[in-house]
Amino acid sequence: MKNNYTCCPWAVPLFLLSCFLGLIQVQARTETKENRFQQLITGTVNDQQGLPLPGVNIIIKGSRQGAMTNLEGKYSINAAIGDTLSYSFIGYTTKILVVTKDFNPDIQLQQNTDALSEVVINAGYYTTTERERTGNIAKVTAEEIELQPLVSPLQTLQGRMAGVEISPGNDLPGSAPTIRIRGQNSLRAEGNYPLYIIDGMPLNSSPLESNSNLSFTGIDPLSTLNVSSIESIEVLKDADATAIYGSRGANGVILITTKQGQSEKTEVQVQVYSGFSEVPNRIDLLHTEQYLQIRRRAFENDGTEPTQNNAYDLLVWDQDRDTDWQEEILGGNAAITNLNLTVTGGNQTTRYRLNGGFREQGTVYPGDANYQKATGGLSLNHHSKDQKFKLQTAINYGLDNNKIVGNRSLVSSIFNLAPNAPAIFNEDGSLHWEEWIETGIDNPFNGYFNTSKIEASNLISNLSLSYELLKGFRLKTNLGYTNYNSEEIFKIPKRSYNPLYSEFLEAQSIHLLQKRNSWIVEPQLEYTTQLDKLQIESLIGSTFQENQSRITEFTATGYVSESLIGNIAAAESLSNGRRQSTTYKYNALFARIGLNWDHKYLLNLTGRRDGSSRFGPGKRFANFGAIGAAWIFTEEGFMDHLDFLSFGKLRASYGSTGNDQIGDYGYLDAYEATPGAGGLYPVALANPDYSWEINKKLEAALQLGFLNERLNLNISWYRNRSSNQLVGLPLPGVTGFNSVQANLPATVENRGWELEFTSLNFQKKDFSWRTSVNLTFPENELVSYPSLEESPYANTYRIGEPLNIALLYQYEGINPETGFYEVADINGDGRFDYEDQVVVQNQNRQYYGGIQNQFTYKNFSLQFLWQFVKQEGRLTLFNTGSLGNSRAVVAEALTDNSTYQSISNSSESRRAYNYASASSLGYTDASFLRLKTLALNYNLPSAPLQKIGMRGAKLFLTGQNLFTFTDYQGMDPEVTNGTGASFSNLRTYSLGIQLNF
Amino acid sequence: MNLNKIFARPMIFSLCILLYACEDFVEVDPPAHKLVNQQVFNNDEMAESALQGIYNELFRIGNFSNGGASSVTALAGLSAHQITAYDQSDLEYLEFEENEILPNNPPNLSLWNSAYKIIYQVNALLEGMESSTQITASLQERIEGEARFIRAFTYFYLVNLYGEVPLALTTDYRENATLIREPAADIYDQVLLDLQLAAEVLPEEYRDGERIYVNKYVAMAFLARVHIYLENWEQAEYYSTQVINQSGIYSLLSDLDAVFLKNSTEAIWQLSPAGRGSATSNTNEGYLFISSFPVFTLTDNVPENFTTNDLRYIHWIGYDEEREAYYPFKYKDPNSSNNITEYSMVLRLAEQYFIRAEAHVKSQNISGAIADINHIRSRAGIDLINSNSNITEEELIDLLMEERQRELFTEWGHRWFDLIRFNKASTILGANNANWESTDVRFPIPEQERIKNPNLGQNPGY
Repeated sequence: MKNNYTCCPWAVPLFLLSCFLGLIQVQARTETKENRFQQLITGTVNDQQGLPLPGVNIIIKGSRQGAMTNLEGKYSINAAIGDTLSYSFIGYTTKILVVTKDFNPDIQLQQNTDALSEVVINAGYYTTTERERTGNIAKVTAEEIELQPLVSPLQTLQGRMAGVEISPGNDLPGSAPTIRIRGQNSLRAEGNYPLYIIDGMPLNSSPLESNSNLSFTGIDPLSTLNVSSIESIEVLKDADATAIYGSRGANGVILITTKQGQSEKTEVQVQVYSGFSEVPNRIDLLHTEQYLQIRRRAFENDGTEPTQNNAYDLLVWDQDRDTDWQEEILGGNAAITNLNLTVTGGNQTTRYRLNGGFREQGTVYPGDANYQKATGGLSLNHHSKDQKFKLQTAINYGLDNNKIVGNRSLVSSIFNLAPNAPAIFNEDGSLHWEEWIETGIDNPFNGYFNTSKIEASNLISNLSLSYELLKGFRLKTNLGYTNYNSEEIFKIPKRSYNPLYSEFLEAQSIHLLQKRNSWIVEPQLEYTTQLDKLQIESLIGSTFQENQSRITEFTATGYVSESLIGNIAAAESLSNGRRQSTTYKYNALFARIGLNWDHKYLLNLTGRRDGSSRFGPGKRFANFGAIGAAWIFTEEGFMDHLDFLSFGKLRASYGSTGNDQIGDYGYLDAYEATPGAGGLYPVALANPDYSWEINKKLEAALQLGFLNERLNLNISWYRNRSSNQLVGLPLPGVTGFNSVQANLPATVENRGWELEFTSLNFQKKDFSWRTSVNLTFPENELVSYPSLEESPYANTYRIGEPLNIALLYQYEGINPETGFYEVADINGDGRFDYEDQVVVQNQNRQYYGGIQNQFTYKNFSLQFLWQFVKQEGRLTLFNTGSLGNSRAVVAEALTDNSTYQSISNSSESRRAYNYASASSLGYTDASFLRLKTLALNYNLPSAPLQKIGMRGAKLFLTGQNLFTFTDYQGMDPEVTNGTGASFSNLRTYSLGIQLNF
Repeated sequence: MNLNKIFARPMIFSLCILLYACEDFVEVDPPAHKLVNQQVFNNDEMAESALQGIYNELFRIGNFSNGGASSVTALAGLSAHQITAYDQSDLEYLEFEENEILPNNPPNLSLWNSAYKIIYQVNALLEGMESSTQITASLQERIEGEARFIRAFTYFYLVNLYGEVPLALTTDYRENATLIREPAADIYDQVLLDLQLAAEVLPEEYRDGERIYVNKYVAMAFLARVHIYLENWEQAEYYSTQVINQSGIYSLLSDLDAVFLKNSTEAIWQLSPAGRGSATSNTNEGYLFISSFPVFTLTDNVPENFTTNDLRYIHWIGYDEEREAYYPFKYKDPNSSNNITEYSMVLRLAEQYFIRAEAHVKSQNISGAIADINHIRSRAGIDLINSNSNITEEELIDLLMEERQRELFTEWGHRWFDLIRFNKASTILGANNANWESTDVRFPIPEQERIKNPNLGQNPGY
């Protein structure tokens, strides 16, 4: 059913807006005709380099007359002698001149030394400056990230931005990091991805599927980008900044801008670095002597005889062998080599940048896993001589070749492995079996020779064309296309498994092909004008976007030899076929009006009407909008006497954004093919009525600059409320499924404070020292949930508590009779189940932030970033007596006054341990302070270099995750949701050189 | 200057882009891999596929009916102390062995969920056909008969494992999410209704000659089972006789190694491993019991009951020297691909003889009962019961129970249900389990289900 009337309400106000803007212009023109006794002043405005400055506002003070320079910097204005003319332009110091008889109309404007105006901020569809922004936008530039030896562009942001939490997926290259901008808004984990925009082109931010070790968080769709080609990353946080992205802005927006050609001269840059990564930490586990002592004691205490079945570590395995499994498996070094070559150049009207990059990275694990990435990028911008026509294009292409060894989660098994267990590998590198088979159990590394090879290519291209139709009117169109292709082959050879099995096993390969492509067309019309002191920037536009994705997966079985695996022509049969195509279409209208009164009062209105194909008929369109305002109070006369306060701004915004991140076609009542041949079955419950999640964001902020902005302080308070939650509503299995997509009458609130502080502590000719600090106090709360008690979430969430909680047993101490841990049986029914899990454990961060210092001394510069987090996390591995290793601290259980339960192998003791692990006893402080990055650069003296035709050379040394201070005894305090054995941060050292010709 | 002219162009342009932003752009067609409901039920082939989907799903991973680690065969076998988990550190199976199942036990949840998922599939199929006018009437009748048989079959196991259970007969999740548990008698009423319809409308032949599709005699065989559980002796005798009399279709095999082969003449209903949807072609029972790393082994209770000359002891029980444990050896294929040799047995003729024997005993036809039991004993190569002996009804029931255990061990929880319905669970299972409580005869309603549907009560003792 078509429903065309939905468009009409928008057409009318926007039409009126167009007329209104037109009228203003008409009025301005008629006024100039009234002044007849003035002379015409015609001149040019240039910058310091003598280049013409278009768009400079010229106003006769005390009148409402004004003019603006054209693209050649020329202007003409009627003024009388004695009139005061004011020349102003963003980023430049305003010049005020009195018209005299011999008035020179050719003006040169000085670039504003004011640091805040220099920082130009990309707000997506428009730009602003740090000084005049009305929204909350955080920015990092190439300087901070380009030399970090990382694969994931987002991981470079860790610790650098307030309100932005980034956790790496795991330690392997290509794994998707989790990013939360101002906390979790949606009850669904997959409903919390921010919007990624690369050079104006939206990129599907949901990770790609994998059968490999990357399956936990998926494959990062950004891993094919070249970190050193990124010019800046902006993160849009509040309503003012995100509402123009409408239904996709609820979780914030990440804008990645790639580098462009800057100079006319042809310049070449070669950058090479290499280094290595290692696993930075180990858990202190029991050694054989104590481990066996505890195990023997367990049987003594239980009064049972160890048997080959429950005590093979005591009866079968070597009693003297003591293997440090962590060293064995995690002790390697992963070499990294990275190479970049860039050529830039152009002429007055055209600039280009051409870049190629290559990266290779090894693995810390045994085996020959490696990761290769090749990237190529071309950017070109051109403008016509009269500056009326502008063209800008960026094409980025990346190839990933990721070879991963082993089955999922093999690594975590080494922490439980008894220290006297038989060898995992034979000397020739094959899996060792004899001693394991003797014991009757499998080598825990069975599956180790399964390999995955993921080849991915990603093309992100964009073209932006604009033309100035009339003075102030600019027609702009943004066109983009992306194409992502990946092929994963997961090979399962027989030698990966127990030879006893192998006669029954078939060599297999699992093939997973994914394709995503999208196009976008965004016609826009901009209108900018200056009316006396009021500057108006307005914009209307629309978006047409289509994303197509396709997944093809199948298993090929029955290869006669290992070398044929993957060659499907040699397979006996294909099965488990899956082919899914989805189309997502998106259509929107958006508009913005920015009003700027004398660079003092700023008002920004943004709005968007969005339609998404993910919803059923009649539910597809919704409106979003925001208002942002700022007052630069230091521009007021009454502030002039406060010399130390050079800049002060109050800022506030409020608005709504939406979230349509939910599976496609969820509203259809549909059947799919069963895995078994010939059958069809319904795969989900259908609900045609669901609609958007609405996220209302409120923010207030104070921005202060002291001593000519040598010290800057930003304090923001925010409160985001996400309601109409779009979730897979959990259902009892009696309904046939475990959930149905529906809107839930629940409200999730994220609120908090963000502090950003920068300071130029010291600046002399040879030495400078800058510090910047960011600090976030986030709070997340389930504010309301009508009849939560009766709902399916009754035992998942608590009103007034964060979403990310664990409900735990109440730990009571050690029962003096049994000697085992005891948790409270709250309802006294003699059982331990959800009804007894009453302790709420907050698993969110209490606060977090980063401190960065940058020192420069002559040709040296030193930059380092400390990341800190205050939180609690889970840590177990304190089993006393049953099979499998534990942390070394449990040796205390051998003594009389132990805080651990008495040593035993009984099922009663194992249950007690399981309950205690799910009580507050399983949680500990997991706060940490980490030296996240350190970079030392040395610029070679330029004089001798110039003699050999070089413009510059730089040596650099970087380190990642060099030190971590924490009381947490697990592997990595950043990953604390399991037993404590997971980790995702490697320590990396690299050394490199950059040459400029 | 003509101002109108100047501003006309941008305004017209902006109007153009605005007016184009309309709902038809964001309309998308359903993708190829999804068939909208109406498409499925607008022709015969698709409706057949929807039925095949149910058969396939009965064999899927984690299903109550697939013979795997969380199937009725495994869990009720553990509870009846017939099998034991080889890895004794695996608490989720240990809880069944110790008859101390916690309400959050994962296999218990998996069993429950998979059963209701099958019921949903049946309900969706029935509703879809009802709303369609495109399906040939005779075909619709047959599909309905098969589907309703599967629903009845599923409810039978639910009611016997959990007692009172919710009775979902539609696909409306709003209604099903808040259902209360219905009395067992009401569940049985529905089971009988569905089975009787199936027995009426289904043809006598196996479709494609494959014993994996439900026909009239499958429905009758199961009616015999239900009636013997309900102690309706006459009906039980009637239906079992109907099946036993089809000697052209069903006969006891003298070669015990051939009983569990696919389409064996002893089979009344089997499930094909093809439903699993992978290249693995062995049954789950084969994998669980006889692979190199078996999940379960037999407890000593089972082999102790045999005399060593019993052919079933020789052919159906193996001994693992390395693990010093007996294992069920009814299925012979532990792990293979591509060539399906065995189907998972659901109903077979031997049970029908037991059903009729039991019905005979209860209607004082002692000689008839002995004759039926002797059919089984003679096939097993052991001494026959002397039909002239003065055997009491009670003794004969005990004998029947023993014989059922020897014949049907590790098949579909027969022993567990027998212990309960003959009221022997506490005496026999309590004898070697100090923790035994009389309430352990019911599995707990899964905790996760009760969290999501607070209207669901728990069984006593949990």
